[in-house]
Amino acid sequence: MPNLVLVKDDYFWLADMVTSQVIVLITLVLGLGIVGLILVKERYRPLLTFIIVLANALISSIPSFQALAGDSQSGVLSIGHFAGELSIRIDSLSAWFILIVNFTSITGVIYGSGYLKSYSHLKVNSELHWIFYSVFHASMIWVCMFEHGVGFLISWEIMSLSSLMLVIFDFQNKTTLKAGINYMVQMHLSVALLTLGFIWLNYKTGSFNFEALDHLPFDTSSVWVFIILLTGFAIKAGFIPFHTWLPHTHPAAPSHISGVMSGVIVKLGIYGIFRIIIHLQHDWLLFGQILLIFSLVTSIYGIANAAVKYDFKQMLAYCTIENIGIIGIGLGIGLIGVGNKNNMMAILGFSGALLHTLNHSLFKSLLFFCAGSVYQQTHTRNIEHLGGLIKKMPITAVMFLIGSMAIAGIPPFNGFVSEFIIYNGLFKGLLGTQGISQSILIILTITGLAIAGGLSLITFTKSFGIIFLGNSRKVLEHEPEETSFIMLLPQFLIVAAMFSVALAPAFFFDYAIKVVTGAFSLQISNLSGSVIPVIDNLTNIGMVALIFMGILISVYGVRWFFVRYRSRAFSETWGCGYGSPIKKAQYSGQSFTRSFGLLFSFLAKEKKCAEKIPKQSIYPVPYTFSTSYIDTVERYLVIPITKRLTFMLNYFQFIQNGQIQSYVVYGIFFIILIFLGTAFNLIH
Amino acid sequence: MISLLLILVMSLFFSGIIIRTKSILSGRKGPGILQPMLDILRLWKKGSVVSTTTSFIFQIAPTAYLASVIMAVLMIPHGDKPGFISFDGDFIMFAYVLAFGKFLMIISALDTGSSFEGMGASREALFSMLVEPAFFILLGSFALFTGQNSFRDIFSSLHYGSQISYLLGGLASFVLVMIAMIENSRMPLDDPKTHLELTMVHEVMILDNSGFDLGLINYTTNLKFAMYGALISNFFIGLLPLEFSIPMFLAIQIGFAITVGIIESFMARFRMGHNPQFVFILTSVSLLIFFGVLLVLGKFV
Repeated sequence: MPNLVLVKDDYFWLADMVTSQVIVLITLVLGLGIVGLILVKERYRPLLTFIIVLANALISSIPSFQALAGDSQSGVLSIGHFAGELSIRIDSLSAWFILIVNFTSITGVIYGSGYLKSYSHLKVNSELHWIFYSVFHASMIWVCMFEHGVGFLISWEIMSLSSLMLVIFDFQNKTTLKAGINYMVQMHLSVALLTLGFIWLNYKTGSFNFEALDHLPFDTSSVWVFIILLTGFAIKAGFIPFHTWLPHTHPAAPSHISGVMSGVIVKLGIYGIFRIIIHLQHDWLLFGQILLIFSLVTSIYGIANAAVKYDFKQMLAYCTIENIGIIGIGLGIGLIGVGNKNNMMAILGFSGALLHTLNHSLFKSLLFFCAGSVYQQTHTRNIEHLGGLIKKMPITAVMFLIGSMAIAGIPPFNGFVSEFIIYNGLFKGLLGTQGISQSILIILTITGLAIAGGLSLITFTKSFGIIFLGNSRKVLEHEPEETSFIMLLPQFLIVAAMFSVALAPAFFFDYAIKVVTGAFSLQISNLSGSVIPVIDNLTNIGMVALIFMGILISVYGVRWFFVRYRSRAFSETWGCGYGSPIKKAQYSGQSFTRSFGLLFSFLAKEKKCAEKIPKQSIYPVPYTFSTSYIDTVERYLVIPITKRLTFMLNYFQFIQNGQIQSYVVYGIFFIILIFLGTAFNLIH
Repeated sequence: MISLLLILVMSLFFSGIIIRTKSILSGRKGPGILQPMLDILRLWKKGSVVSTTTSFIFQIAPTAYLASVIMAVLMIPHGDKPGFISFDGDFIMFAYVLAFGKFLMIISALDTGSSFEGMGASREALFSMLVEPAFFILLGSFALFTGQNSFRDIFSSLHYGSQISYLLGGLASFVLVMIAMIENSRMPLDDPKTHLELTMVHEVMILDNSGFDLGLINYTTNLKFAMYGALISNFFIGLLPLEFSIPMFLAIQIGFAITVGIIESFMARFRMGHNPQFVFILTSVSLLIFFGVLLVLGKFV
């Protein structure tokens, strides 16, 4: 690392460890980049952002690879008297997430540079957008690096705010702004909980570091520290019932942002949860079971709602919730495995969760990029207006198909690998558990995962089939065409990464195991030998995926051999006797999931809006009827609570009266309060 | 290897036996046992008509459907002789590989832009989602029962236990017969001989397929039946030597085919709206098996 050494000579206030140099270097690149972004011309900004993101990605990836290879690094960042010394580290767990963040952010910036061209007529400020994109990327790396709670919280807040600015790119649009405010409020709820958790931790142990969680005394209140921190992270990750920001924010944000947010920002919630449960010293079973139940509900609820949505970006957002649930299931069985002293179960659960995090970041960003391309070309997010796009945008269609099959966990794609590991962990757990309650919980989880798998089959056959197949259902303003190469390139990169996971799962699994054993070095021991059959098994999966592809190709070859000289006539689709099929009469997305929607109406309720037909009317008049599905948790749990809250908080509105004079008075009031506090020794 | 050969042989006769049973039960003479296979051969020689609405999805879906079932067949053991592919947790792969073919068949139905075919596709997707838990609970129960984690190990260690394993095997074969009926869209759920598009599941999905592709789809259905028959027979073969296990395999397959014929002769198709309830019954029967296993293992404490 020649560049790092160079910096070390230049800056005397650097600590001697390399990790702190990484942070400083990232900040430096970011600062220079921001100045550059302000100075350069509009059309060079995407390129410059790409360079900044790439540079920061390189800087942070080098120590990450070292950490994954077994050389974890930690250090101290000293920022003078202001904040003292903040401890930082890149261990294998941070490294895993940093690499995911880097890959997705790079693909995001490439895609975004093409995607934002269609917004150029809006005269919005692209320089702010690109500045915040680079800040966003850097802050995510910081989040993974800070060990010290204060540094962590500051980067967490920077991450939330910069992503907020990215989400409200199209701020003239009212729904976008509303979604942005919703996002901001929920993210601050998360930050507030995290801050509370860290303060409590500091009060109990005298340290802000994550590691201090190890030294919490064994009592009820320390369990609450864990619960508060986990809840804070669960809001970010989007577990039920904290999921409500996802389906509003993702459709509002530009597609490259939704891709990156769904791909990584949600995963940092998972990172947080992982980071916390590492330090759990007791009650693994309790936490594992709670996490498992929540995740199970999350995954089924998420995918059931995804299945019925018409807005394809909202569908993808709900699908993210499902996948968070699957990751959570992995973490849950991992914890139960630790609690049961069942090493295999623990390893399979945690590493399955890690691999699914990686996989999901790949195919979800791919799907969001495809969705963005479709939106850019058609200007609609309603799948009922689309159809037949496979002929206009064949490459995007194939990419979406690959993403769909991967996310439904179908072999030979990568989604199957991580789901297989989690299933395997569940079955290992089933064989190893004692007691009936755990057996039932695990068999229910297996059932739930199977149902979620089946539901994602419904969701993605519907989405792909209605968006890309059949005939166009509505006349579009512009004839859609294939998107530019710059927007397809990141999709190719992602697909390549996906296939590398699918065909060489053992390689990635090996690293995931390293992360897990590094993180749980105390709890999981005596591993030597016991993981080798599992790694072999995963090598098998890769082989089997290859064999499956071989069979596919050879069956198709046989078919081609027989069919090549056969006559082939072209004609209309069979219309059951009717000669001229109507395009509007094609099967629609709503009708595709209607019987499913009736069956699962307790999760996603259908709401019908119909005008009343006046009784006296003689002549027929235009008449509208619309259906939509409402998210039951949001409608019956979250909205009533927030309504109550806003009603109560209305009484405090007089505080925010818009007069600067009174704000000055508030300031003076607090200064006096603090003065009195110190004077009477209430505040130290 | 042996199981692959046996399943391939059985797939040639399977629907012939069903049709023969049905014709005998309804007092007709009926076609020969090989007739369905001859029909498929005839289809394989024909040209095809392709809808102008369709894309390449429509062209590759039947192939992918067959390939996925072949892949699944390769994983099925014959008693203690492993299938072509056998590894820890292969039954998970089995279920998901079948989903691959299903996924493509469903979207190929949507590819035609028809107002009917989507209906079948939607039903197929729904029913196969509902049937999934039953299969996983079933295999989970047997994994727990035998302490093993792959098809071959489960089947080969099934008979070390008590007499109750036969009872569980019986219940399991009931569930598997029903799963096979649902996956192949047969009688209680779907009537392949019906002539109204609105009431069909599988048949309406393939309205537009013709020629070679239709032949592929029909053959895949037969192969799928034989595959489930092989799974059922595995519950009873256990460690028997080949000279006993092969006749037993054939007997169970033929018995399975005759059962399907009998069910189709004496049962009416359910109302479409009641089908989900029926499919859920399978999940509850699988749960019954699971609790039976817990009982046998003495985990009810």
